[in-house]
Amino acid sequence: MARVILMFNKQVIKEYPFVEGGMSIGRHEDNTIVIDNLAVSAHHARIDKTDSGYILTDLQSTNGTFVNDKKIVSHKLSHGDNIVIGKHVLLFVGAEVEEAEAEKKKQKMILDKTMVLDTAKQRDLLAKQEVRSEPKVPEKVGVISFIDGSGMGDIELTKKLTKIGKAETSEVKLSGLLMGATAATIGRRPSGYTITFTGGLTKLKVNGKVVKGSAPLKDFDTIELGSYKFQFYQKEKEQPVS
Amino acid sequence: MQIKTSGITDVGLQREGNEDSFCVEDSIGLYVVADGMGGHLAGEVASKVAVEIINKSCSRWIASSAPPDELFGYSDQSLSREGNYILSSIRLANRIIYEMGQGYEQYRGMGTTISAVLVTPSLIVAANVGDSRIYIVRDDRIERLSKDHTIVSEQVDMGVMTDEEAAVSPLRHILTRNLGSVENVDADVFELEPFDNDRIILCSDGLTDLVSDEEILEITQKEDDPDTLCKKFVEKARSRGAHDNTTVVSVYLCDVKKRRNGLLRKVGVGIADFLSVFRRATRKYTP
Repeated sequence: MARVILMFNKQVIKEYPFVEGGMSIGRHEDNTIVIDNLAVSAHHARIDKTDSGYILTDLQSTNGTFVNDKKIVSHKLSHGDNIVIGKHVLLFVGAEVEEAEAEKKKQKMILDKTMVLDTAKQRDLLAKQEVRSEPKVPEKVGVISFIDGSGMGDIELTKKLTKIGKAETSEVKLSGLLMGATAATIGRRPSGYTITFTGGLTKLKVNGKVVKGSAPLKDFDTIELGSYKFQFYQKEKEQPVS
Repeated sequence: MQIKTSGITDVGLQREGNEDSFCVEDSIGLYVVADGMGGHLAGEVASKVAVEIINKSCSRWIASSAPPDELFGYSDQSLSREGNYILSSIRLANRIIYEMGQGYEQYRGMGTTISAVLVTPSLIVAANVGDSRIYIVRDDRIERLSKDHTIVSEQVDMGVMTDEEAAVSPLRHILTRNLGSVENVDADVFELEPFDNDRIILCSDGLTDLVSDEEILEITQKEDDPDTLCKKFVEKARSRGAHDNTTVVSVYLCDVKKRRNGLLRKVGVGIADFLSVFRRATRKYTP
């Protein structure tokens, strides 16, 4: 069965199995796929099943419908097509195609061989994918926001490794007799932001719990370092308007 | 700080040549693994060239404490000086491999992955392009310090595929980024503070294809000698068919404490300060 996966910001919001008789996409509540966003027209687009496959049609929407980065009026969907409506992405998964394709790929590929996409066509595809993924996935940056009345306000963690402590070289300079030269660090790792206790007699607490090694940080975790108290959260990096 | 290191590469059981290269450069604390690709020895050449260039340029920049404007390309403000050395040396290696591929028929289409780690007493820098991984084992936990630049891992990031699906996907070996196929490439770079008993593993996908993260953690925790550790990993890959070249570099940190002793001493001074202030204060308030 074909499916449509609705995504926003790289996050899957909902999966819709294809409905016989066609699916409509739009802001209005009578649509099969309702996207509540001002960039989306009330009745924006629809997908119909025909003898030759699934057809996506733009219903003369204000902001247009894009498939794989191209503005379309009508488009025959193939497996893996990315439909972009406003800031939302709909991933089309064609079931029959999916299985046949997976089987073909399995046979074709000697699994252990590493390769890179390098023909001109594939690279184009990739470039497009990157372009496409940009508006879709705004990069996030961590922020610590002081809530202890120290008047330090919000500090963006622009470095891969932010040192917090008494030392002059610290990105976030805190005072206090027992504060370590580098009391803690917040690092951006592949798995996300992590806070690490590095030294000094000032205790590091995350959500009230003493941390002696490292702890992963989630949005709105409260961090205490001596008399300092701050909250961690991530915000979208400001991007140049394209 | 003391560093115990070891590196090993094994052709495996099914390949004829070994396209992997690595370097263990204890003098500057640089460790690199590269997995080359491209026929007729080109893969071998690409990985060797990459390792060589990164080693040479990093050594030179570290020795001269090169300022950012002497490096190749713009410096990344989010990184330390050492982080920029690594980033820049990878850019340089990419450009050279790319130009070789453009200029010589026998090198056309060659490329390589890279993972590099630079260890200093105050910083660990990890950088990678492609799917050769970097792990750190600390406090009974294993963490990746590298990002896989593959189609499937991008899909995992996007939430359309789970880690489990990615591990068996037929597309898992298709890279989206490597050294040598485009003019400019940037590595993913991560920085963290070193701790006593940190164990860092760099490896090519010959290992990670056959051995899971949990197994790597278990084997690393049990083995205190980096030499034996590398051999154990290669044996493990061989016992599971070793369809690809396997390369492992392991870096064990010890006695990072020295620096912390320094800190403790400073803290001691801090306490002394505190006490004297306290005494002064009490004296002041005595009627």
